[in-house]
Amino acid sequence: MANRTLPRLLQTPAVILLLLWMIVPLSMTLYFSFIRYVLNNLRRPEWTKPSIDNWRGFGNYEFVLNNKDFILAIQNSLVIVGSILFLTVILGVLIAVLINKTFPGQGIVRVLLISPFFVMPAVNAVLWINMILDPVLGLQGIAVDGINTWISGLKDAPLVGWFFSLWPTLEPISFRATQTSAIAVIIMVTWQWTPFAVLIFMTSLQSEDQQQKEAAILDGANTWNQFRFLTLPHLGRPIAIVVMIQAIFHLSLYAEIEIVSRGNGNKNLPYLIGEFANNNIGAASATGIFAVILANIVAIFLLRMIGKTLME
Amino acid sequence: MGKIVLENVTKSFGDTQVIPPLNLTIEDGEFAVFVGPSGCGKSTLLRLIAGLEDCTSGDVLINGDVVTQVSPSKRGLAMVFQTYALYPHMTVRKNIAFPMRMSGMSEAEQEKKIQAAAESLNLTDYLDRKPGQLSGGQRQRVAIGRAIVRDPKAFLFDEPLSNLDAALRVGMRLEISEMHARMGTTMIYVTHDQVEAMTMADKIVVLQAGVIEQVGSPLDLYHKPQNEFVAGFIGSPKMNLIKTDEAAKHNAATIGIRPEHLTVSTTDGAWKGTVGVAEHLGSDTFIHVHDTGLADMITVRISGDIAVKHGDRIFLTPEADQIHKFDANGLRI
Repeated sequence: MANRTLPRLLQTPAVILLLLWMIVPLSMTLYFSFIRYVLNNLRRPEWTKPSIDNWRGFGNYEFVLNNKDFILAIQNSLVIVGSILFLTVILGVLIAVLINKTFPGQGIVRVLLISPFFVMPAVNAVLWINMILDPVLGLQGIAVDGINTWISGLKDAPLVGWFFSLWPTLEPISFRATQTSAIAVIIMVTWQWTPFAVLIFMTSLQSEDQQQKEAAILDGANTWNQFRFLTLPHLGRPIAIVVMIQAIFHLSLYAEIEIVSRGNGNKNLPYLIGEFANNNIGAASATGIFAVILANIVAIFLLRMIGKTLME
Repeated sequence: MGKIVLENVTKSFGDTQVIPPLNLTIEDGEFAVFVGPSGCGKSTLLRLIAGLEDCTSGDVLINGDVVTQVSPSKRGLAMVFQTYALYPHMTVRKNIAFPMRMSGMSEAEQEKKIQAAAESLNLTDYLDRKPGQLSGGQRQRVAIGRAIVRDPKAFLFDEPLSNLDAALRVGMRLEISEMHARMGTTMIYVTHDQVEAMTMADKIVVLQAGVIEQVGSPLDLYHKPQNEFVAGFIGSPKMNLIKTDEAAKHNAATIGIRPEHLTVSTTDGAWKGTVGVAEHLGSDTFIHVHDTGLADMITVRISGDIAVKHGDRIFLTPEADQIHKFDANGLRI
């Protein structure tokens, strides 16, 4: 196969570039994760320079594992990514099927549907947390307040008043509180990324074979069965694509978490890395390696799951 | 068992009426072929019978019951599509099982029917493959298998062989004909290929612009075309239609003579012309004759071979009893 030499040679620059692209940052992260490396330490100034002399072995990993926020960060990463994937795929499929039919004004509807995707993540977070989810000034506060006023007005009404007097006064939910800030993040990112799913599913739906549907109609399949046995399998591949791309993006969520809670009780791995990176580069790198491992596990798990359920 | 009757059926898309009021009866067990040029409404007519399109007015009757408002799946008809319309992510077995699965048949019974269908269609070895791994002919057989297991009152075929290559087409044509002979179920078959129509049909329905031009057995249509359109459409190569003074001699506006009913001579005959292209098929020779003063071109079909070349003078003689005569409206006299 001597005549393959030239083609291989010509491919080499691209391959080398791609390898460098991936291997240089990864190996630097690996290197930093095994040494003591901090940005500022007055007692041990030698640690502020990366050097093999500061070898720490698995010390950084131990330090990270013993950090009280680490397990929470992993859990949070998984919960946030999982919930967003679940919601965007379901909403995406439903909306895509809904707007795939021709109806007047569908062009405008489609543009409007896509628009959340063009909002910057930080702007998205500020918008949701201050204008919509805020318990006092946001739409949520106003809506809860309105419902409360309405119900208290009905308490004096004849006949039905007794029924409404049993109702409790509704309390608005504070999404900046530690337990609920993850939910706020899930809501806002789902809002932003559902259009992405819709866009991909819609293009896929338009390539669906109409004769297959007619054959299914003649075979006695009702609308649900057509959806279940034809449309959903047809969407299998696009769903896998959406899940993979979104998993990559949402494992690295940062802006939303910073803006909603500044990491109070709601850190994910990138946020934890960011906190460590304020000073302890070694620990941040070790967390980064954990993040790489987690991302790989998630990727393998998701691919298996989707492959089994949808591609039969 | 299925006798299908169309009563004053019409179909309009918006303001355009693609099928004017149309009446047709297809007897139980009959192999009916709808044939016509592209866009003549033959597929639409089939879809009206299947229920995939709604009739604008008129009724479809199956075994005497009006089914115009009945949903497609309840009409008890099975359809085979031109693109096969197999479910790509299901195996052959699941594809064939799909209609039975939808009707809630038991697994054991499904399996029995799948095996029977697979055996009759030579698909036993392919049951666990997906449609993407099959050839065109095999896919078409799977589509037929999916139709058979439903025990339909009638099979509807929508140009089922158009996507196959010529050799396979001949084979599948025979298979479908044999299937009809064996099962005796009513079949309606749509095609634009008049060879398929002639070879398979008990009854051919020739359509043009949504109108039935003639209904009859293949040989009826060949020997007694009711109008110029049917005369030109049925038969290959096409019938020669002559509108000149020669037609007046026969007291007709147009006369037609099939290429195989002309005898050829290099010395004498009724009509004189020059040889254009001669197509030698071995068993037959098609000669295109120009400059006869009768029509732009006269096609002649002779069996065997003849030594003529481009530009040669040639004489043609029609067989007198094979001349078709048509009046000014194109109707047979």
